[in-house]
Amino acid sequence: MKTLEDLKNFYETALMPDLMVLEQQRRSVVRKVAWVIIATASIAGVAFFVAMQSLREAGPVVIFPIIAGLLIGTGVCYLLTRGYVADFKALVIERIVRFIDENLSYEPKRCIDKSTFMLSKIFTTKPNRYKGDDFVSGKVGATQIQFSELNAVYESGSGKNHQRYTVFRGIFFVGDFNKHFTGQTIVLPDTAEKLFGRLGQKLQSLNIFRGNLVKLEDPEFESHFVVYGTNQIEARYILSTSLMARITEFKKKTGKKIHLSFIGSMVFVAVSYTRSLFEPRLFKTLLDFEPVRRYFEDLQLAVGIVDDLNLNTRIWSKE
Amino acid sequence: MWIAVGIGIVVLLVVILIYNGLIARKNQVANVFGAIDALLKKRYDLIPQLVATVKAYMQHERSLLTEITEARAKAVSGRLSDDQQVELDNVVSKTLGSIMVAVENYPDLKANQNFMHLQRTMNEIEEQISAARRAYNAAVEAFNNAVEMFPTNIVASMMGYKTKSFFEIAAEQRENVNADKLLKS
Repeated sequence: MKTLEDLKNFYETALMPDLMVLEQQRRSVVRKVAWVIIATASIAGVAFFVAMQSLREAGPVVIFPIIAGLLIGTGVCYLLTRGYVADFKALVIERIVRFIDENLSYEPKRCIDKSTFMLSKIFTTKPNRYKGDDFVSGKVGATQIQFSELNAVYESGSGKNHQRYTVFRGIFFVGDFNKHFTGQTIVLPDTAEKLFGRLGQKLQSLNIFRGNLVKLEDPEFESHFVVYGTNQIEARYILSTSLMARITEFKKKTGKKIHLSFIGSMVFVAVSYTRSLFEPRLFKTLLDFEPVRRYFEDLQLAVGIVDDLNLNTRIWSKE
Repeated sequence: MWIAVGIGIVVLLVVILIYNGLIARKNQVANVFGAIDALLKKRYDLIPQLVATVKAYMQHERSLLTEITEARAKAVSGRLSDDQQVELDNVVSKTLGSIMVAVENYPDLKANQNFMHLQRTMNEIEEQISAARRAYNAAVEAFNNAVEMFPTNIVASMMGYKTKSFFEIAAEQRENVNADKLLKS
């Protein structure tokens, strides 16, 4: 397990020289983007002024070139930054991933499959806008893992009725669980019980879409989570007293909304984030340890799930 | 008059719901109890394998092995009352525990493939038995709540339902295992 100290050393010795080169690239990209913005804005401004003068005749026709110009300007900015983002991910994020564990591989453009996402049954709404990036996979100890950043949204209607509902945004983790089991067990954040107490629990048990409610003995775990499962005994076999304590610890450590599910001898963990992860900040210097520390902590959080949930303890029939 | 009929129907529906709910909870307790039984049987079935595997290595634990073989024979004979069954099960748990601790003295045995596989299977069954017992307690809790709380207690007393007792581990098992003592015996 790498510490912050190790990261600091890695940052200073291995990363820094390359960061300085990348920083030059960033500055040049920022300069170019600034020029494009100034150029587009001035052309648009002049065109608008001309349009105002000859409003009666040309009017709407002049608006189209202005909009086209703005779009072209945006497109150019995007192309300019795209190369930089790719270089950044290869240079910084990939190296941090390898630094955390050499057995892991990183694919910046790939993400967890939508089918896998739906297979977890954590989210019942099927998203129609599904994207993600920063895919990491490999074997940590005895456990095969995969995770990526995801942004899954459900949009409906158009015009006035347009609704946008975020199904999930954050890190989605899939891991090989250390016990064999056949049914499905789902652990969701518990809102009803927090708000309504016993009545909330009664409402939860009536939720027909989710299957049978499983009431567990750990009071702290129960206060944070609600569990649904196809088999009462299997749910307790999976959620041993020690695993329940570990999940509660993990939730407290991250301070985020956590959802888990156990299906097909695998464990799925969805950690909700409100911010974007592993993206470079274009307008701030690269030569700063702070963002590197953040990337490291976000990655470490995902990889650390294996240890936090004790997935490498293989004392049962699954090896 | 119609109001009275209406109220009567509502009360009847509520009573039916409560009645069915009580039956469902009683059956859930029985269901899980049956599952525990099945798992215990699985554990008993493993014992002859365990004894056969460790016999050659564990020269000094003859008494333990004999004890567990006898306990198993009694358990599967099927001639015991429920209480006797539970007590026997406790004896088996304790003896199994002692054997597993004693294995620490035999590194050859620990490395034996058969034994390792057996150990994994036994760990799994023990964990499943523990899960089943927890599920049993949860089912009993739900049943007892319905039998004792208002308004379901009215219907429950009419049906003659009494509270059930939780599964508790025997007092001697609650004492912390004295590994030292076990290793030396």
